[in-house]
Amino acid sequence: MEFLNDVLVQPFADMAAAPDFLLQVLWEGLVGGVLYALIALGFVLIYKSSRIFNFAQGIMVVFAALTLVGLYEKGVPALLALPLTLVVMLILAMTIERVVLRPLVNQPDIILFMATIGITLFLIGFGELIFGGENKVMITEQLFIPTGSIVFEPFGGFVSIEEKDLTAVIGAMVLVAALLVFLNKSKIGRAIRALGDDHQAALSVGISLSTIWVIVWFIAGVIALATGIVWGARAGVSFALEVIAFKALPVLMLGGLESVMGAIIGGLAIGILEKVFEIYWGQPLLGGNTEAWFAYMLALLVLLFRPQGLFGEKIIERV
Amino acid sequence: MKRMLKTAILSSALMMGVGIAGPAMAQDDSIYIPNLAYRTGPFAATGTPLMNGQRDYITLLNERDGGLNGVKLDYDECETGYNTEKGVECYEKTKARAVVTQPWSTGITLQVLPKSNVDKIPILAPGYGFSPMADGKVFQWAYNPPSSYWDGASMILKNISDGNLDSLKDKKIAFLHLDHPFGKEPIPLLEVLAEKHGFELVPIPVGLTEMQNQSAQWLQIRRERPDFVVMWGWGAMNAGAITEAVKTKYPMDQFVGVWWSGHDGDLKLVGEQGKGYRSISWSVPNSEAPLMADIKKYVVDAGKSQINQSEGEFDSVFYQRGLMISVILVEGIKAAQEEFDVRTPSPEQLRWGLENINLDEARLKELGADGMLVPFSTSCSNHTGHGGGWMLQWDGAKFVKASDLLTPDRAEIEPLELEKAKEYAEANAPWPVNEECKM
Repeated sequence: MEFLNDVLVQPFADMAAAPDFLLQVLWEGLVGGVLYALIALGFVLIYKSSRIFNFAQGIMVVFAALTLVGLYEKGVPALLALPLTLVVMLILAMTIERVVLRPLVNQPDIILFMATIGITLFLIGFGELIFGGENKVMITEQLFIPTGSIVFEPFGGFVSIEEKDLTAVIGAMVLVAALLVFLNKSKIGRAIRALGDDHQAALSVGISLSTIWVIVWFIAGVIALATGIVWGARAGVSFALEVIAFKALPVLMLGGLESVMGAIIGGLAIGILEKVFEIYWGQPLLGGNTEAWFAYMLALLVLLFRPQGLFGEKIIERV
Repeated sequence: MKRMLKTAILSSALMMGVGIAGPAMAQDDSIYIPNLAYRTGPFAATGTPLMNGQRDYITLLNERDGGLNGVKLDYDECETGYNTEKGVECYEKTKARAVVTQPWSTGITLQVLPKSNVDKIPILAPGYGFSPMADGKVFQWAYNPPSSYWDGASMILKNISDGNLDSLKDKKIAFLHLDHPFGKEPIPLLEVLAEKHGFELVPIPVGLTEMQNQSAQWLQIRRERPDFVVMWGWGAMNAGAITEAVKTKYPMDQFVGVWWSGHDGDLKLVGEQGKGYRSISWSVPNSEAPLMADIKKYVVDAGKSQINQSEGEFDSVFYQRGLMISVILVEGIKAAQEEFDVRTPSPEQLRWGLENINLDEARLKELGADGMLVPFSTSCSNHTGHGGGWMLQWDGAKFVKASDLLTPDRAEIEPLELEKAKEYAEANAPWPVNEECKM
């Protein structure tokens, strides 16, 4: 009976007793969710256009953020370092396409996946060689990202919102909106979608595979940079950022690998639900750290009923 | 044709001879010191300055003194990324020539521990590893000087209670730790002390993927309102926790970390806002020490160091602690050389050396490292030395010494150490113990 009370009654009683705290939990969950969605978007874009599961997305976040901070440390002004980092990401995209992907066209998916593991290992070593392994401070203020906090006092309590988190949420929303417009309204966007639907049909109407791959990897690089700035502003820029890519895996399972909307909704759902579960059920009943597995359990539950994820395309193979 | 063939055979034989004799000569003329390093991955921020320090002290001895008692020290790193499986691979790869193993993670130490009895190679884990390794009779091949994690936990509690643990009665202490063997290490002792002295212990684990986003953990801290937060963090977890503490506006003077949570690089992220944060430490940076002058002259200025001078790594706690770790190892090797009158001691001889380290104040002064390391000595029964530590405090720009020498409460720790060592030996039976040690 006590157990049922702890599971079914007490958490809701706690929420009602401290609504300001619940609001804080929801806000933190939303911020986390936006960040997960950003990482997942990088995976989705590349998968949509090339059917490659890009294992290197996590290290691209690290590489982009380290390049930005590294350039600033070398004396490049922050506002110049930003476009220069984008140039570096473009060069990286072109190099990956030319050196890794082009020779592997028409190879099985698993070979391309293994190639992205190779890219990861290379970028880890190369990044360490160039930038070193130390934790670096993100140039938040230099990029005019506000660093204060806004405090509300609802229900007699308080909710604190970090301005950089608020900027991250707004920035991510703008980025996603721009991406959706680009994918749906522009010629290149349509070409990316066409390539995702059917490689051979897209090629037959004159869409250049290599150009699209460069563009897609570059966009994934831009997303990686945005993710790196946001996460780096929270706890510094180091190789630890790579680990957060693992948080995108359940988002992809939940939302579907091909769906931009899936990545966004999946990210937000996981961010908020895992936080609420951890605070009201995980910490009191299970000793905490449920965030390490909760998202996977949720994704697994969804997969039981929708194997393609919430927004994934159902694959029907006729034999 | 015949002559050409002869020449070819002769040169091949010579080359083979050189090939075989080369390593053998190298082995005779140098002492191979592998280090299971981690300069990449999520823990690189902690590892890089430590490895730089370890490497630079060895370089100093080779450059300034021509090695140790005339023998070159061959320092070699095998990259583990702080990953236990890779660490075990590195151990296997290096053990044939190794005089010592420096595993650099509690997880790797626990994996390598049973192997040390078979391979007979000492494990040196300064300030980390399994605390009951202090019992040298049970853990014949493992050393964790100058203070164990349990010593560290005891010193932190003594410090925050002004020396009277009973004053913590009815207080709440949150234990924020990495969800990893390292982070869980002091929990058995903390649970015993919580029960004995009547304080409430709230363990708060941080998973590997949550290190950079600890909002859930700090929401729990906000809800629980603990009187103190004690942190057992490594790598990126430290920076994540400190930035969240600032965000949560948790009082910094009630936030204390273990020695691996006292890295300048992590605190620089918050700068002035981290003022008051403390970390227990068995080493103190002193850039004015004669040893540091030599490091600068023979290693850094000579372009033989890998440190990042623009970020002030030379003056940092972790770089100088890395130097001290190599000081401890070299003292063990030196003791073995002198005891057995050999140039290149075997791992078994080094084991004796590590059991007979005497780094007292006089010896530290002689090395030019006066006040940089807690004085301690080891024996066959005491593999830790239990030298104690100082409290370091972040002043907004750097760590400064903020206490006199603190010592652990050995009367509280030792019975638990012996009990857990015995438990470990029984669980891993047959486990050889050192019957010859009568201390």
